[in-house]
Amino acid sequence: MTCLNDIQIQALVDGEGTAEARQHAASCPACAARAHERTQQMTDLEAALDVPIAMPPRLEQRVEETFRFEADATGSERGATRLRTDAGGVWRGAPGLSLQAEGRRWAYSGVAVAAATLIAVLIVAPMMKGPTTVSAAEILAKSASQLAAAPAAGVEFLEYELVLDGVPREVMPDHANGAYRVKQIIDHTVQGRFRFASYDPAGLLLSSIAQDPATGRRVMAMRVDDRMYRFETTLPATLPISVPEIERLHMQASVAMMQASGNQRLQILDTPRGRQYRIDVPSVSAATPAAVWDLTEGHVIVDAADFHIVEFAVKGAFLKQAYSFSYRLLTHDVVDSASVAPDTFEVPLEPGTITLHGGEGSPVPAADAFVIALRELSKARQAR
Amino acid sequence: MEARSTAPVAARELFQAHGAAVYRFVLVLLRHPQDAEDCVQETFLKLLRHLDAGGDATNLRGWLFTVAAHAARDRQRRRSRWMPWLPAHDGHAPAPELPDEDGRLKQARDALRQLPERDRLLLALRARGLSYRDIAGAAGIRPASVGRLLARAVDRWGAATGRRKDGNAYDVLERHPNPGAR
Repeated sequence: MTCLNDIQIQALVDGEGTAEARQHAASCPACAARAHERTQQMTDLEAALDVPIAMPPRLEQRVEETFRFEADATGSERGATRLRTDAGGVWRGAPGLSLQAEGRRWAYSGVAVAAATLIAVLIVAPMMKGPTTVSAAEILAKSASQLAAAPAAGVEFLEYELVLDGVPREVMPDHANGAYRVKQIIDHTVQGRFRFASYDPAGLLLSSIAQDPATGRRVMAMRVDDRMYRFETTLPATLPISVPEIERLHMQASVAMMQASGNQRLQILDTPRGRQYRIDVPSVSAATPAAVWDLTEGHVIVDAADFHIVEFAVKGAFLKQAYSFSYRLLTHDVVDSASVAPDTFEVPLEPGTITLHGGEGSPVPAADAFVIALRELSKARQAR
Repeated sequence: MEARSTAPVAARELFQAHGAAVYRFVLVLLRHPQDAEDCVQETFLKLLRHLDAGGDATNLRGWLFTVAAHAARDRQRRRSRWMPWLPAHDGHAPAPELPDEDGRLKQARDALRQLPERDRLLLALRARGLSYRDIAGAAGIRPASVGRLLARAVDRWGAATGRRKDGNAYDVLERHPNPGAR
């Protein structure tokens, strides 16, 4: 046998070598020396990886609570616990809450609806008092009731991570599967004034939409083949339902669908960032085959201090197409309107941007962009 | 039914036996204590469900590190997706220094951090004594590739520590795969 190569030496040291390799190493001083050297190297490696750090006591507590919670939920163990699961029913598919496609079409841009769908999220009752004992149903119920109440004034800044997988094109027409960072600015003092923007992982602006009733303008921008296209219109005479409003509706619907599950699970997490509540809706099958939108699995994590949602993830089906998305809040601030710079609600203009003007906008910004682009194409062909 | 009633007890015993090791394992991979804790919690929750469902219990130690490796990899990828929007708003704390990081160990661990994610994972799994088959499962690679990839990872780590003993200029990519054919 020829001398062993590095892979064979490695396998030998790892106890995975062949009998032939072992025999060779036993009779070949060169290979034995290399095996010895590699053994020493692996010993050093193990020492480097054997971090002498104790497991935090809070982690032991977390895992123990997880065990108790899971045992309670499955009925495999009994005992006192801080974790609760609501008794009972199976996922009912929330038929009354399934969105009907023939109603309002999901027509806003990807950014808007991405935010809308997911943001399903944010404002779970800052004023809610922290109870000493809570249940998932209580948290969800109070969350749902608070979702309808937007902040009365001020400008809300949100940043969050968004991960999409299998989201139907009908819902997010300009968002492929992947990860995004989304920034939202909503002016609660001026109804219908907002700016949303989505960025790729490297921080590159992908799309944005902004409208301001004070100026009567709406700007929608999207990046196609490394170039930004900007569509500017005036606002329609009658403002349609705004993106933030859509968000809240979606948020309410999502939370309500979680409420409709009789099988929520609540877990109390003591983290370095403070106490949090985690509510899971385990994987279940919808009982309503005709439902347009079903959530089959989801969880939400709520900060126990002010009850804002810090994480939200669901799996489900929309128009019978499986999808999932997850949302993780990064920052959330509400500031006084007077302190906000005037250009906050402007979509930034990049060099090389192609700007197209489209007159009065419709209630459907994405359709506006499409129509404007077709008109420009027509003009270009006629000019030839 | 018996399995359901004993699963929590077995899971607790396994947590007592291996919880600290799993925690250190993911801490080395992630260097982010909060994420490491999340991984451990997720791993042992999956263990409980695995046992509750009557899953294979022949190599639960390997199973634990495999699941923990997957959880760590998911978090690592999720974390690496983003550049900070604004540093002031970025909630991630810098990676903590480990308590025993004297010169030699610090150098060894610094070298580990320079390695690609997969190399770190392979080395960490191997250092925990997992078999090649288990490593393959945890790392999502073919079992037949483990030895080759592991050998290269060790070489890269050795090169990064500057601890090669042959005194020759070191270039992992240029090394002949079978220097012993003589």
